[in-house]
Amino acid sequence: MTPELDAPARAVRDAVVRIRDLHYSVNGRAILAGVDFEVRRRSVTAIMGPSGTGKTTLLRLITGQLRPARGQVEVDGQDLARLSRAALFALRRRMGMLFQQGALLTDLDVYENVAFPLREHTRLPERLLRHVVLTKLQAVGLRGAWRLMPAELSGGMARRVALARAIVMDPQILIYDEPFVGLDPVSLGVVLRLIRRLNDALGLTSIVVSHDVREITAVADHCCLLSSGRVIAAGPPRALQASDAADVRQFVHGLPDGPVPFHYPAPDYAAQAAEVH
Amino acid sequence: MRLARDLAASLLAAVRSVGGYTLFAARVLAAVPGALPRPGLVIAQVYNTGALSLVIIMLSGLFVGMVLGLQGFDLLQRFGSEESLGTAAALSLLKELGPVVTALLFAGRAGTALAAEIGLMRATDQLAAMEMMAVDPLRRVIVPRFLGGVIAMPLLAAIFSMIGIFGAQLIGVQLMGVDPGHFWSQMRAAVEFGDVMEGAIKSAVFGALCSLIAVYEGYHAVPTAEGVGRATTRSVVIASVIVLLVDYLLTAVML
Repeated sequence: MTPELDAPARAVRDAVVRIRDLHYSVNGRAILAGVDFEVRRRSVTAIMGPSGTGKTTLLRLITGQLRPARGQVEVDGQDLARLSRAALFALRRRMGMLFQQGALLTDLDVYENVAFPLREHTRLPERLLRHVVLTKLQAVGLRGAWRLMPAELSGGMARRVALARAIVMDPQILIYDEPFVGLDPVSLGVVLRLIRRLNDALGLTSIVVSHDVREITAVADHCCLLSSGRVIAAGPPRALQASDAADVRQFVHGLPDGPVPFHYPAPDYAAQAAEVH
Repeated sequence: MRLARDLAASLLAAVRSVGGYTLFAARVLAAVPGALPRPGLVIAQVYNTGALSLVIIMLSGLFVGMVLGLQGFDLLQRFGSEESLGTAAALSLLKELGPVVTALLFAGRAGTALAAEIGLMRATDQLAAMEMMAVDPLRRVIVPRFLGGVIAMPLLAAIFSMIGIFGAQLIGVQLMGVDPGHFWSQMRAAVEFGDVMEGAIKSAVFGALCSLIAVYEGYHAVPTAEGVGRATTRSVVIASVIVLLVDYLLTAVML
């Protein structure tokens, strides 16, 4: 059961990603246990939740890197489980993905990294290609860094280059996996602003996985809170913040104890202390 | 009981690993035609695995040749046939030492570099990023590196043998005083085209095996620092053992 809190006002009604009754498990351990949710076109949707609740797994299922045990993932009207590898690759050309650490190709410089998808998929003349790449680098503010190698970039810069690479093919869906991890406040602010600006300027649909509640709720239209493999709340950020469900409150307000206990399950203290080898 | 279970488990793991290698090799070979239209990628890898291994191959070739010169001279002298030193050195280098020692050095120098590079690409999500950009990492990363190794190995082995013969000549003729006329003419008379081909076939097979093992171990590395280190070690250990084993089989078949 998903408590739908409120229908977002700004988002257009049709869904780009539709997930129904999604199950996934690794070595018999259930990671996702019946996830249902939708991502509306042109919205910024945040998938939030404590570490280890299957957020990244959910992204990998949405992009077809993993296959679900049960349930359905539909992207742009296509059921991923039924797609051939070629059709999946064709669909992925309409998706961009930003990996946690950027995942830039370490043997290519910034310019060639951003040019990479174009060189692989198109036969653009060099002048046009340069034009496209420089425009995208300009959009993330790193045109001046075009000849640097990935090793010479800071964490925030690397993620912005990866962002430029993710939008170079003009995707319709842009997916961010933990884009704020390990960023200083300035870089974080830059990336945060870019997520919103790119979404609106390019007419994208963005999906952001994060557990940085305050940051992501500032830009998201719609939030979806995962806990132990299920969606425990979904709706606009404000509704989530106002929610009085104990598990939602604990996560959104960062309370140390609550339905997610502070203590890892442990035996009786006295018994454990007495146990000396 | 536990011993039996452990044995069964390791047997199962071995069978699974052979199956994994076979399937992977089939996928790599099937992807080779797709990589051919972009020779630039392969040439870059011939440079990476071949040209960058040149110094170690040439130095080793020289010393192996010099040792052959000394030992061969000492041995042949006992039968009074030290003029055959050229033939002995050339045959042992072309047929055996050239391909085998080059392959072992290749596994140590180029193979480990390949495994570590691909393992790191896996660990830093670069391969997953390619998948997400609708680029097949097998075609873009693995096949060019495999082909680069397949092309580079025979060339390196040929250079190794050539320098080795030079080293044997250096010791035998210049130092020990074997007659240069005998040294070269006996070699030319005794070494046949088939001997050269035997070495060429061996080095091509070793090149394919070493490269395949290196890219397989890198591609299937556990995506952590420890996993990449382990994959690198595995690649050189497996490649060395397989090269020696296959060398015996090939020699038995071709002799």
